[in-house]
Amino acid sequence: MTEIYINGNLYKVSLPEDTPLLWVIREHIGLTGTKFGCGKGICGACTVLLEEEPIRSCITPLKAVKGKRITTIEGIPANHPVKRAWVELNVPQCGYCQPGQIVEAYALLKKNPRASREEIVRTMSSHLCRCGTYPRILRAILRAQSMMGVKT
Amino acid sequence: MIDRRDFVKLTGLSLVLVLTEGGFKIIKGAQEEIINPVLWANITKDNHLVFLVNKSEMGQGVWTGLAMLVADELDFPWERVRVRSAPAGPQYIDRKLGMQLTGGSTSVRNMYDFLRQLGATMREMIINHASEEWKVPRERLKAKGGYVFGNGKKASYGELWEGAVKLPIPHKVKLKEPSEFIYIGKNIPRIDAKEKVDGSAIFGIDVRLKDMVYAVVERPPAFGCKLKSFDPSQAKQVEGVIDVFAISTGVAVCGKDFYSAQKGRESLKVEWTESSIKDFNDQKLARYYLNALNRAGAVARHDGNPEDVISKAKVKVEGVYLLPYLYHATMEPMACVADVRKDKCVVYAPIQSQTWALKTVSKITGLDEKDIEIYTTYLGGGFGRKANVEFLREAVEVSKKLGRPVKLIYTREDDVKSGWYRPMNATKFVGALDEKGRVVAIHHKIAVPAVFEWAGMPSKIDRAAVEGIENMPYSVPNLHVEFVKIDLPIPVWFWRSVGSSHNAFTLETFIDRLAKAGGRDPVELRLELLSKNPRARRVVEVCAEKSGWDKGSHRGRAMGLAYHFSFGSHVAQCAEVSLDKKTGKIRVHKVVCVIDLGPTVVHPDLVVSQMESAIVMGLSASLKERVSFSEGGPQSLNFDTYPLLIMEETPEIEVHIVKGQGPMGGVGEPGLPPIAPAVANALLWGYGIEVNQLPMTPDYIKTLL
Repeated sequence: MTEIYINGNLYKVSLPEDTPLLWVIREHIGLTGTKFGCGKGICGACTVLLEEEPIRSCITPLKAVKGKRITTIEGIPANHPVKRAWVELNVPQCGYCQPGQIVEAYALLKKNPRASREEIVRTMSSHLCRCGTYPRILRAILRAQSMMGVKT
Repeated sequence: MIDRRDFVKLTGLSLVLVLTEGGFKIIKGAQEEIINPVLWANITKDNHLVFLVNKSEMGQGVWTGLAMLVADELDFPWERVRVRSAPAGPQYIDRKLGMQLTGGSTSVRNMYDFLRQLGATMREMIINHASEEWKVPRERLKAKGGYVFGNGKKASYGELWEGAVKLPIPHKVKLKEPSEFIYIGKNIPRIDAKEKVDGSAIFGIDVRLKDMVYAVVERPPAFGCKLKSFDPSQAKQVEGVIDVFAISTGVAVCGKDFYSAQKGRESLKVEWTESSIKDFNDQKLARYYLNALNRAGAVARHDGNPEDVISKAKVKVEGVYLLPYLYHATMEPMACVADVRKDKCVVYAPIQSQTWALKTVSKITGLDEKDIEIYTTYLGGGFGRKANVEFLREAVEVSKKLGRPVKLIYTREDDVKSGWYRPMNATKFVGALDEKGRVVAIHHKIAVPAVFEWAGMPSKIDRAAVEGIENMPYSVPNLHVEFVKIDLPIPVWFWRSVGSSHNAFTLETFIDRLAKAGGRDPVELRLELLSKNPRARRVVEVCAEKSGWDKGSHRGRAMGLAYHFSFGSHVAQCAEVSLDKKTGKIRVHKVVCVIDLGPTVVHPDLVVSQMESAIVMGLSASLKERVSFSEGGPQSLNFDTYPLLIMEETPEIEVHIVKGQGPMGGVGEPGLPPIAPAVANALLWGYGIEVNQLPMTPDYIKTLL
């Protein structure tokens, strides 16, 4: 039995400890907002928060998160400025990479609400989007900052 | 966990079925002018419109664009509109395509009249019912914003709908005048945005059924080889592995979850027959394609006497191009859930081609199409790839063998190894100029696999092979277009903008080489060649104006412009580019894009997002992407070796829409073709470099400096 906290809830799963966290979340907990993209930690579609840090859940084994707090896309409040800005600017196209992008942006602004445009671009460049929503993702993060009352 | 009933409810299907119980006759396709609203839409008692859409939402915003058409004519509040995916079935075919398919940038064009007619029919029936019910003449009733008003009475459409659908369906109802539109032409919120932001949107890979198991398929390492033998014994000992068996494309390993199936596969021993192209690597492929240009092909167009004119010309220009195989790289890899039972089969899949899917499932299961239910989920990217239903066939094969529901998932590596690439191609252009620098002849030949043949539609001249060239909008008196078919066992398929994805590059960079040889400005030369095509001229002119073309290079940056007509739309793009000569690295700073898709623009912001999307994807392909080969198989199996464009490399994008007269054009694809040649043309004028190959990687660019 491994205990993990996901979005504030305690889950006890009995799985091999090398099982990637991604599949635990998707198949055993049943939260499918976190996506499988590459299985190698490259594309960022599987990004979740471990405590406050964005991690790639597809290459994080279950044993590494024992007893830790995980936040997925479903755990970010619906009225958070990042999510609101994303909807307001019609950011998602196919939508598949967006949960990972949103989790990353949420973590960035939590850590550094005044992140500069350059910092945002550098951080978000670790995520792939085949639909090419990058210009809108950038605008949405800047918009979220202004919703949060942050002057940059 | 989604059980089937929940999903059906989710699709809105059960609601529609409830209504069909009212002794309603289903009208078959023959009576085309009558649209039976019950098949397509429902208005719930609490006044929500549930619209069953027959097109796949893969990011292009088609659910929003199509629902707007219905809601506008119906005059219904947008926030109360719900869209659900229509199941696969003959009643949901796109009548203009003759099948249920999302592709060719046709959705809004093909469904525009039909769906407006649907909304108007529904509204008419609601008014008719209110008129009967309230005994008030129709003329004194007003239907607006989801309510009918008149004679001091008021009722919601939802309250009237059940009675309304029992009335006869009116023929040819009157549609709104454009001045009366409430949504068409406006930027209203995307209907799928919220679900895609909160993580609840269900893609193919997300569907979960009771008692479902998982499967992965081990595939051959190279193309043109088949399964020889396999030893499942070790794989079967892996904890959680349920079964291991051969299917038509490889060896399926089934497990209680994805991870156990994947681990089982790692212990699997498989032998394949020798690949028929086992000595093919990148160098061999290049030679093979270039050599094919020496073969005689099929002539797609021959005007005047190009050979003669070229042989006598004072100024002759040549270009030989080699463009790579490209991978679609949908962020959601292929994934499908199938549940095959003895007398019934249910499939959930992120697909673009429901009609092909239905036929495929019927063939494998032996079931009648009426006993097959196929539900289309959201697609985590499509770009043409998900019109190919081989992954769905695999899931059905596995479920049939197991007799239980299965989710088949491709890993990223499986996805690349499955093939179905944008074809590689070699092209040779020879052109001639007269003494005034006018283009008097163009001779073209392309060696390329036949995409339409791979899709089961063979023809002497593959439509994709010469599209954009054979029908070029330029007036050239002596013109030759020729197609040499490449036959290799590397599967090829439709890739966003199809033949135009490569033909625009070769033609548009060649036009600039002609301009340079003739001492002409490339914009001015294009305008001369487009003298008979005012819409094309206008997008080129507007693009030159908005990008400040006349002012020459910007901030020391090189500028390049390209124009292309595809999928009914004219697009011109101008790229501002700089090149670091030391590293060979290209930086695209800004792209100005102008599109003319005709007089009606349903949702301008969706057009803008599709231009942004196509520019980013086209730039990604032109700067970074190539499927690399070794021993007859792909070597670039994941994003580390098949990199995509990232935010840091994304230029500022400015989009302008101009409204020309003529039929409505498409939006999903036409924004892609001009970007690669616009960037290459900037390198030609700014740095004197002729780009003959893609991608424009630093290593390749350095060889040109």
